[in-house]
Amino acid sequence: MTKGAATMTVRLRTLSTLAAVLATTAIAGSALAADTVKLGYQLPLTGDTAQYGQDFRKAAEIALAEFNAAGKPFKVEIVFEDSRSDAKEGTNIARKFVDDKAIVGVLGDFTSGVSMAAAQVYKEAGLPQLSQTASHPDYAKISKYQFRNIATQAQEGPYNAKWMAAKGFKNIAVIAEQTDWGQSVVGGFSDAVKANGGAVAFSEFFNRGLKDYRSLISKIERAKPDAIYTGFFYEDGAQFLRQLQQLGVKTPVYSTSAAYSPKLIELAGDAAEGVHLTSNFLPTDPAPHIQHFVDEWKARSGGAVPGQFPAQAYDAVRIMLAAVEKASPNPTREKVRDALAQTKDFPGVTGKTTFNADREAEKELVKVEVKGGAFVPVAD
Amino acid sequence: MIDPYYLQQLAIGLSLGMTYALMAIGFTLIFGVLNVVNFAHGEIYTLGAFAGLVLISAVAPPIVAVIFGALAVGALAGFSLERLAFKPFRRFTDEASLKSRAMRESTLLSSLAVSIVVREALEILFGSEMRSLPFDYLINTPVRIGPVILVTGDFIIFGVAAAMLIGLQYLLTRTRIGLAIRAVSNNPLGAKYVGIDTDRTIITTFVVGSMMGAAAGILMGLYYGAIFPAMGFVPGIKAFVAMVMGGLSSIPGAVVCALILGVAESMATTFVSSGWSDMVAYAFLILTLIFFPNGLFGARRERV
Repeated sequence: MTKGAATMTVRLRTLSTLAAVLATTAIAGSALAADTVKLGYQLPLTGDTAQYGQDFRKAAEIALAEFNAAGKPFKVEIVFEDSRSDAKEGTNIARKFVDDKAIVGVLGDFTSGVSMAAAQVYKEAGLPQLSQTASHPDYAKISKYQFRNIATQAQEGPYNAKWMAAKGFKNIAVIAEQTDWGQSVVGGFSDAVKANGGAVAFSEFFNRGLKDYRSLISKIERAKPDAIYTGFFYEDGAQFLRQLQQLGVKTPVYSTSAAYSPKLIELAGDAAEGVHLTSNFLPTDPAPHIQHFVDEWKARSGGAVPGQFPAQAYDAVRIMLAAVEKASPNPTREKVRDALAQTKDFPGVTGKTTFNADREAEKELVKVEVKGGAFVPVAD
Repeated sequence: MIDPYYLQQLAIGLSLGMTYALMAIGFTLIFGVLNVVNFAHGEIYTLGAFAGLVLISAVAPPIVAVIFGALAVGALAGFSLERLAFKPFRRFTDEASLKSRAMRESTLLSSLAVSIVVREALEILFGSEMRSLPFDYLINTPVRIGPVILVTGDFIIFGVAAAMLIGLQYLLTRTRIGLAIRAVSNNPLGAKYVGIDTDRTIITTFVVGSMMGAAAGILMGLYYGAIFPAMGFVPGIKAFVAMVMGGLSSIPGAVVCALILGVAESMATTFVSSGWSDMVAYAFLILTLIFFPNGLFGARRERV
């Protein structure tokens, strides 16, 4: 073969490959236009809270893969955008999602603060927003487009206050992180304690990510409380519990479902023993749909057990997908919103979910205690 | 008799201050003494901690070997950091470039860039969540002294920080390399003219300072029992404040100020909400800059 002929063949091959690629793209393109519905998901994928956002994405991918494999008449695509848990970034993403006319619903954000900032944009544009974790009481009040799949502190606070009152704790110290959420923890709980005839001996906020709680612990102990109620996530929780143990403090600790994560026990070790908290997801529950999610999660996380937040994200995505399905064919933002609002007894891994008239998820809470290095459900 | 509560807060403050001092020593050596703007020290600290974590999970060596491993990684990281973010800005050897402030301060951005790349890379490699260290390695067994409770780590950190401080003071004031570091810091051009190998001096300082940063990282990881990619940020700020308060070029000054900072923060928690105790560091920084522009312990020095 001469050199010229060889070049020729190569060129021909390139051309035919190119043609084939073009043809495939064209087909894929038209398919995409016809049967794909787009959703947006804003969540922190980098920065201090990236671990949460990455878990949410993993949970969303599990839910999405199941939906797309189920032979529905259309496929769904989720656009993930990194908000870094920054309110300004969250608002920018919200504008971007609003401008993309193909997006009919949005999931996220992670923190109440960012979710509420972005909610202002979604409210104006009429794009339904479903957050898996924003538990600040004001979030769902922003407009008829805000939904959430988490028990609020207005629900969890009184529940825990009643639990602690039943245990005979009268004088309670409350600490929480200095955020919108942390304030709702203290607010929701303290009022209920007083209503039950107890007293809040001590109440203080700390900065998220604080390393050394020993000064704060000494200060709490000076107030001599019967028990400590805490609003923190597992990282801060683990540090707090360990330093509590170091200082030899034996006061019982109660916490919210936000601290419910296997990482709490992993990081705090035996210092986590005896911590009481509430939850609405138990990975040990033998129900098949829960075990299915736990298995899928383990397969993608090197055997790690999911905490409550990923479970909420998984349910939130599935609730949104169910709403999109109900609103199809040709789902619009308005139709998806109405379908979301009608969600009733959705059988999720975090219990049955119904949105009430205020678009709040009514969740059943379970009481849990850390015993022998595991979360064990307790009756009282 | 003093209220045991205050004694405990004082002890906590001193132990907190020692952890800041541990970070501040290496930081001050590079930033203050060598007079090179370096914002990547926090990531060296994080790298040291992760090196320790990898070593522990791979071969589970004795704790001393873990620290030596972290030191080696720190030395390598310091060398690479200097090569990547600092050396390129010294390639112009004409007098104008050597005297240029812009040239010197451009490393603010290049070192910041390296720090962001390292942090994000660690997040991709290890994930951004906190990782625990095996409990047998941790240095936080409680120790009771009268009414006060400390942990074993407090004594180890005190010992290491004291050794670093004394060692560095000896290096800087009694050895030829220390003399060279001070000469380069004082006047890089002059140092070059009298025959000092400025490149080598700068690299050595980075290696030594970064070894200290990495050792601080793994010690703090073992002390608090958790390691994560963003862990270097807060100690970096505290070390920076201690250094500026101490007068930039004085390592003992930085250590004393780190202790003042720690005690002030823990005492402040008694009187104000813990959420505000971080304000103490910034308030000190601002007050120092207003009333003691040369720092509390800073010797006057001509800035080129």
